[in-house]
Amino acid sequence: MATVKTKKTTKSKKASQIPVRYRVIGTRPIRHDGVDKVTGRAQYGADVQLAGLLHGGILRSPHAHARIRSIDTGKAAALPGVKAVITSADIGPVTDRVVDLGEGATRLQHLRDNILASGKALYQGHAVAAVAATSPHIAQEALRLIEVDYEVLPPVLDLREAMEAGAPLLHEDLHTDDLGTKSMQPSNIAKHLRFEKGDLEKGFKKADQIFEREFLTSMVHQGYIEPHNATAFWNADGRLAIWCSTQGGFTVRQQAAAILDLPVSSIKVIPMEIGGGFGGKIHVYLEPVAALLSKKSGKPVKLVMDRAEVFEATGPTSGSHIQVKIGARKDGRIVAAQAQLAYEAGAFPGSLVVCGMMCIFAPYDLEHQRIDGYDVLVTKPKTAPYRAPGATNAAFASETVLDEIAEWAGIDPLEIRRLNGAKEGTRRADGLVYPRIGFLETLGAARKHPHASAPLEGPNRGRGVASGFWFNVGLKSSVTAAVNSDGTVSLTEGTPDIGGTRTSVAMQLAEVLGLAAADVKPQVVDTDSVGYNDVTGGSRVTFATGLAAIEAARDIERQMAERAARLWGVPASKVKAAGGVYRHATDSKKKITFKELAARLDETGGPVVGKASLDTSASAGGGFGTHIVDVEVDPETGKVQILRYTAVQDVGKAIHPSYVEGQLQGGVAQGAGWALNEEYFYDDQGRLANASFLDYRMPTALDLPMIDTVLVEVPNPGHPFGVRGVGEVPIVPPPAALANAIYRAAGVRLRQLPMNPGRVLEAILTRDGKPPSKA
Amino acid sequence: MKNFAYINAASEKAAIESMSDKALALAGGTNLLNLLKEYVLAPEALVNIKGIAGLNAIESFEGGLKIGANVTLSELLDHAEVRGRYPALHQALYDIGTPQIRNMSTLGGNLCARPHCWYYRYEYFDCKKRGGQGCAAIAGDNEFHAIFATDGPCVMIHPSSAGPALVVYGAKVKIAGPGGSRDAGIEEFFTLPAAAVARENVLKPNELVTHVLLPPPNGKSATYEVRHKESHDWPLAMASVALTMAGETAQEARICLGAVAPVPWRAAAAEAALKGKVVNETTAGEAAQKAAEGAKPLSGNKYKVQLVRTAVKRAILAAATGRRV
Repeated sequence: MATVKTKKTTKSKKASQIPVRYRVIGTRPIRHDGVDKVTGRAQYGADVQLAGLLHGGILRSPHAHARIRSIDTGKAAALPGVKAVITSADIGPVTDRVVDLGEGATRLQHLRDNILASGKALYQGHAVAAVAATSPHIAQEALRLIEVDYEVLPPVLDLREAMEAGAPLLHEDLHTDDLGTKSMQPSNIAKHLRFEKGDLEKGFKKADQIFEREFLTSMVHQGYIEPHNATAFWNADGRLAIWCSTQGGFTVRQQAAAILDLPVSSIKVIPMEIGGGFGGKIHVYLEPVAALLSKKSGKPVKLVMDRAEVFEATGPTSGSHIQVKIGARKDGRIVAAQAQLAYEAGAFPGSLVVCGMMCIFAPYDLEHQRIDGYDVLVTKPKTAPYRAPGATNAAFASETVLDEIAEWAGIDPLEIRRLNGAKEGTRRADGLVYPRIGFLETLGAARKHPHASAPLEGPNRGRGVASGFWFNVGLKSSVTAAVNSDGTVSLTEGTPDIGGTRTSVAMQLAEVLGLAAADVKPQVVDTDSVGYNDVTGGSRVTFATGLAAIEAARDIERQMAERAARLWGVPASKVKAAGGVYRHATDSKKKITFKELAARLDETGGPVVGKASLDTSASAGGGFGTHIVDVEVDPETGKVQILRYTAVQDVGKAIHPSYVEGQLQGGVAQGAGWALNEEYFYDDQGRLANASFLDYRMPTALDLPMIDTVLVEVPNPGHPFGVRGVGEVPIVPPPAALANAIYRAAGVRLRQLPMNPGRVLEAILTRDGKPPSKA
Repeated sequence: MKNFAYINAASEKAAIESMSDKALALAGGTNLLNLLKEYVLAPEALVNIKGIAGLNAIESFEGGLKIGANVTLSELLDHAEVRGRYPALHQALYDIGTPQIRNMSTLGGNLCARPHCWYYRYEYFDCKKRGGQGCAAIAGDNEFHAIFATDGPCVMIHPSSAGPALVVYGAKVKIAGPGGSRDAGIEEFFTLPAAAVARENVLKPNELVTHVLLPPPNGKSATYEVRHKESHDWPLAMASVALTMAGETAQEARICLGAVAPVPWRAAAAEAALKGKVVNETTAGEAAQKAAEGAKPLSGNKYKVQLVRTAVKRAILAAATGRRV
């Protein structure tokens, strides 16, 4: 397959060019997994078929909070076709300890209890028991025969109520870690964190005006198309194999090993193709359950969730209550900023409130700040990361207050951001000092974009602006790369490919070796077949696995140079490699291409394999985005129509611009859904009413205009090509940008998500008659 | 879902003989299968009626149309006469669900669909329609529930999008049962929960809608729907309007609301308000105000009162002008 220039589906403009000529990077080759995906041949977890395969099902709690007095599985086990029934008792004795899964420490008891409830069910949909049978239908029938005796307890659904003393407790043994001190009384507040910089009171004294506002956001789901699934086979020799849909085979291995009390080396995880994750496919739910069912039945067992299970029992991101207080001078300069963020953790500790705290004021250079965060338990599913977890909620609050300040000060929204904007050397409240970043460049590119100055034609229309930040992570990646005799390279990765990373990683290896992207054959393999890799998450794969690929390519290049030296009988130091051609340093007649050399490996010492294992954490580069959106608000229905959307982002260096544009567009689409459509409806007993896509209103292509993207390239100094993570930043600004646009269109400030027709209409019908200002 | 027997009915008679409260008719299945999966319904048998001859045609009939119950929504939408002469029906069906759903869903199924109230659709909620003691919607999340007839035992909204349009055209429903065939006026076909909470229409368990009879239209008509999403979504409120015009004056007006009551909800006061008036923004707005009179919204759906006004006003203007407003 030749490298081709694909037709540009969006107009991407490079606001600042990097003066380096690349042969592969920045082009748009066809993705290596494209044919399998478009022809339906790609194998997903639900496609796994094994001889003797049993089908499982999970019994889930109908109660949001209930003590499990007893579980009688007798009738279910007696149903013909049922081969195994398990409950938490089958996990084995638990010695509670803290386990570090590379993504933060968790109590083993909590990890185990989330996959099968032991003492209490802590949310409606919490797994209580599981069955394996010869058909999915028998498994479903068997689940209805399991008798569970529940003592129903009062649920806690509102996070502010959950924080109050006297609220029903989810975990009687959980005490607040309050800035490092354990609380005396048990509480639903798992953690209180604080970041502080400067002298807040001193800062507020300099303010001409102080803006204090309060925000509420609903829990929302990642909404990946493919439901969770897992197939497990516990072999008679004690080896466990797991096929599943995950963002990281190694994290599944680690979590399963901890839960099942096995050495990691006993488990092989085979990550199948993944139909979307967005952070929601990092926690394990089904994998250890399938393993236990397999152990008990002696057969391979497959579990596949339906959509209701996905909504009820897997990864929503936190709903939140955020208070923001910002002091500003008349000239638009912010003198002090304070925020308090309370995030729903769900049934077990571990919301990503800390990420919200890191991001809330991250785009700005502010001398005096204090940010408090609370991780709060409620009787809802344990939350999971969702694309820039915590940052979108936070930016909704800070970026709409900034819009109010801009209006009060009479300053353009882009200009007030420039005035206060962070740059290289700015220190964030959590202590990090920025290396080279591109926030101001996004503001400049946004200002220059025709959208920023286009007239708004027609009534009830408004334009909103908001910015956002995500820090992006590095973490650990390993690859191996084997040179084939036909001059291609087989690249072995361990980070599941969600956004086209087989290709974006292969392109970096190809660039170093002077090959075409199609000459590299990337594959994602199981945990026995490659060195350790952290998850596909934190917008890290093109950056971190890319760095590993570059390192492996250099390893290959060094070995190939030695082979050329051997052919010519000269010291390796005499061979110079560039652009896929190896030359003698002084004898211009001696040169050989990579492909020619690859054909002669056998005569020069045998196969060549490059490898790299890196911890890239120190060199990840943060990303900033600035979005402009035009909306029309129907004053008689409250419906918000997005007319035009432009997302500007510093992407460092776009390896494959189509995928980068796609990430920006996808992030905007999800952010718009979060802003305008999506929410969970729990009744007062904590039972979910809208566990389907019929009632959980994710936007479709028809709800969104073409989303224009502008790729600003301010290289990350921590990567040879300048790559920054790009996938998460674009979900951060949309809710604030849309709220600001709605205000300019309809004169109403919405501080609660989603901004659906009912809520917008009620705000319009009760508005104080203040005319909206011009955008 | 529970295992069930599958009966392939070759004729109306065979279907009727097989059907009972434990053997349910299966047409497109877009509604029924979801309910089976959730164990809301767990029949012993499904009676496939898709193979019955004569139920899948659109024929001319007494100057109007006779539409078989198995005609799909896509077929209706593609039919030149439906599009040309019955715009309120065409607009009501135009972007229901998704193309796949419209390819499977039938007109009979649209009329007989069970409520999409989420308290009905999940077995762990209390629901009188499923034999429970109370209605979880009254104290629960009722943003999408009824604002009319909310003093009854059930505050569902009728899910039929075709219903209001058929009401303004004065359609009839042909029903086949053990004793033969009978015609019911479309408004008599739908029943309020107060009459029988477990069902939404007059059909007995062994009766079948076989046809919809549309009389010739005598005027202009339109439907306006307020919906959150552009696709794959339920209406928040809708209004179908048929006007008999003399010049710019409405001699007669028929106005029916959808998605706001347990049945397609005739707005008689709005019809009276518009009758004899020149149709314009002002008179349409006045009729719209009347349409919302008598609404008793629940705790979470006051906004739907305004949506009714908007839908009625825009449907009247769309009918009068022939343009979408």
